[in-house]
Amino acid sequence: MSNDQVVVHVEDLHKYFGDLEVVRGVNIEVHLGEVVVMFGRSGAGKSTVLRCINFLEDPTSGVIEVDGIRLEGGGHRTRAKREQIRQLRIRTGMVFQQFNLFPQLTTLENVMEGPITVKHMPEEQARGLALTFLDRVGLAEKANQYPIRLSGGQQQRVAIARALAMEPKVMLFDEPTSALDPELIGEVLGAMKTLATEMHMTMIVVTHEMGFAREVADRMMFFNEGVILEEGPPEHMFQHTRFPETRKFLDAVL
Amino acid sequence: MASEQTGVGTVRPPAAPGRPPTARQRVESLVLSIPYRVKLVVVWIAIFVILAIGFAAVGFDTDWMLEHLWFIVKGAWVVLFVALISIVAATVLALLGALGRLSKNPVAYGVSGFYTSFFRGTPLIVQLFLIYLGLPQIGIALREPYRSWFVLSAITAGMVGLSLNYGAYMTEIFRAGIQSVSHGQYEAADALGMTYKQKMQRVVLPQALRVVIPPVGNEFIAMMKDVALIAILGQDVFWSDPFRRANIVGTQDFRNLEAYVMAAGVFWILTAIFTFFQRRLETKVGKGYVRGVDARTRWFGGGGGDRGVGRPTAGIAVHDPSSAIEQVKQTQDHE
Amino acid sequence: MRKRRLFALVALFASLMLVGAACAEDEPAGGGGDGSPTDGAGEPANLLEQIEADGVLRVATDPKYPPQSSYNEATGTWEGFDIDVATEIATRLGVDIEWKTPTWNVLTAGRWSDRWDLSVGSMTITEERAEVLNFSEPYYFTPAGLAVQAGSDITSIDQLAGKTIGVCGACTYEFYLNRSLNIPNYEIEYVVPEDVTLKTYDTDTTAIQDLVLGRIDAAMSAVPTLTGAIDSGSEIELLGEPVFYEPLAAAADTDASLDSQPFIDRVSEIIEEMHSDGTLTELSNTWYGEDLTTQQAAA
Repeated sequence: MSNDQVVVHVEDLHKYFGDLEVVRGVNIEVHLGEVVVMFGRSGAGKSTVLRCINFLEDPTSGVIEVDGIRLEGGGHRTRAKREQIRQLRIRTGMVFQQFNLFPQLTTLENVMEGPITVKHMPEEQARGLALTFLDRVGLAEKANQYPIRLSGGQQQRVAIARALAMEPKVMLFDEPTSALDPELIGEVLGAMKTLATEMHMTMIVVTHEMGFAREVADRMMFFNEGVILEEGPPEHMFQHTRFPETRKFLDAVL
Repeated sequence: MASEQTGVGTVRPPAAPGRPPTARQRVESLVLSIPYRVKLVVVWIAIFVILAIGFAAVGFDTDWMLEHLWFIVKGAWVVLFVALISIVAATVLALLGALGRLSKNPVAYGVSGFYTSFFRGTPLIVQLFLIYLGLPQIGIALREPYRSWFVLSAITAGMVGLSLNYGAYMTEIFRAGIQSVSHGQYEAADALGMTYKQKMQRVVLPQALRVVIPPVGNEFIAMMKDVALIAILGQDVFWSDPFRRANIVGTQDFRNLEAYVMAAGVFWILTAIFTFFQRRLETKVGKGYVRGVDARTRWFGGGGGDRGVGRPTAGIAVHDPSSAIEQVKQTQDHE
Repeated sequence: MRKRRLFALVALFASLMLVGAACAEDEPAGGGGDGSPTDGAGEPANLLEQIEADGVLRVATDPKYPPQSSYNEATGTWEGFDIDVATEIATRLGVDIEWKTPTWNVLTAGRWSDRWDLSVGSMTITEERAEVLNFSEPYYFTPAGLAVQAGSDITSIDQLAGKTIGVCGACTYEFYLNRSLNIPNYEIEYVVPEDVTLKTYDTDTTAIQDLVLGRIDAAMSAVPTLTGAIDSGSEIELLGEPVFYEPLAAAADTDASLDSQPFIDRVSEIIEEMHSDGTLTELSNTWYGEDLTTQQAAA
């Protein structure tokens, strides 16, 4: 599934929260169409790295490059930088652990919101686009429902559609199933798998769902204490780990 | 009979099957079967009847009342007009104030802090005098035409005062409303690539406004009553509310009790009407947020604009917007 | 779309606000022109010229002070002795009249900010007030007196020692009881005992009502006001003779942006005419049942 084109480039990323260094020099290259799974203990820095990619967190230092937009961490958010960050965000789609759908809009309106407001797409066109993506995640019949009427799994799938509607170059998933009841996890993972296999979407996923990783990931990265301790394709991760910490974590999780 | 001999501390047995109920028991079960609401209405009617009899006994001049009733009632439109304009202005001020209180910009934060502190920390009546009598003094140093900008008519000074005063109190309401929008909403908007303005307009404020509307409704009801304070500035008869009208005719005819009772009645009816609509508004607006509609009305269900005094907090739910507002309103009156 | 409806609502409210604000404004004299006294090109040089140019005289009156001034809401008009005097003055000036209703202590303090032109409100000429107001010739003289509850134990003025007397605030009666009353060209004899407690009210009628309720022992006010209260059923009675006679005049603001002295001089002229042609006497008889328009010494 990989291609030579690098979509996301993270160079020497450091992030401090106060005195605590949570990310201690992380380097990542993600190619077009790749599915990368980041896993590890809480506090190991994986979510922070993900949120630095679209600048929801401000990197203390390091360089983030997405689809040609190259930004340095640190420094002040000048107006010019804010606009660049915005452009970067338009090219990334994010799916949150808490779904974060807009409650005052229907499902369809949620999905349409990005294209209309941010890309100034005409309403009719946006509607068509949104319905397509809703259908892709299997929720076309819920188009006129409000989010509060949907189950957690359904809401998360709508959130995926909402991010997809922006037609991003890369999708970022921040523990997308951690807030779901067990029986609902499957439908969300299923939608994500569809993204990977049918749409060949470039994806960076932070998750504990090892089954999904084994099936769908092209590459897995184990985070430990702010650095990527080990990375490699799933077979490597599950059979031939080099570091005892990796083994220990996997044994605990599986 | 056995039932007749029950003494203190023993329970009278219910009518045993087969035995005919006593008259007393029949009355008792009849009373119990009347719905609660009906009994409540009866109590209210009884209170009014007693008051009416009392007033008649002390020689209430009902003829005088009828003669001047229409004059006093006519003031109701002033209450509505002034309160409506002032609440709209106050809402604009509150929104700006709230954004200021949440801003990282020191100028915005400082100015809004000064504004809310002053207008919440001084009595409304003092503010009215400051605007009506104090402003012209400032204007004296200036030349025409600017000088006359500082000279407001009594009713305009009243509206400006009410707007500034209520805007300051409502700033807290709006701030809590904006903050009640969960952080995740901001992040989702950011992640889509929205600008600050788009984020506020499309995501944050629509949610904040829904949370804020019920308290604003209560503020409106409170404001209607505060319109009476404008009388202290001596506005023209045309712009006089029921209180001032009652003040005028009651004083000159020495019929104060009759006059003020009528004025009170007009205000009471006005607030009752709007409280009724307020309750319906609260249930309607609550629908998108709480699955059980009752929860919301219980928290907000005090009408008449108490400004949050003495309302019970039904626990703090993490993601529930209404309780954040409740907390703020509890602290409001202590500052 | 939702946006359009919201915008329409906002526009509606905004226009409502602007309309309300505009309607509610008093126009200052002549709509606020340049205040410097130039004489050329038809600019009014003083208040009198301004009023004549506008054709309107704005008079301040206390709306609840019968029989001087009261509001008849059945007809929507003002009635009373002061009302009639003011109306006559306006007629003789050749202008229309517009009524304003500020509170009494705002009137006596001056600095009216051009909100109205003239006060015809039975205001006593005092030296302190003359510093901030330009007074006209007196148009009548009213006896000031005391009243007690009907059937009270107090039967003479010296029995008021140690009692509570109600007066309207910032009125000459308050100054009298405080022994600080200064009426030009008039010798005041203080006959009320010095140790009395004062209770001030926004207006005389409120004080009288408290007297009826027994919250105070006596009230001091203009005798016509007291008799007016008695006539409309208040259970009080006059106590002793009037204690002084006060000259009551019309007043204009010394602080008005246009010079008000020529105006008040003209008003004085008119009042003198009204004295000599008997108009004032006629009005006084109508409203007070006696002629109060000539100066009397204290009894």
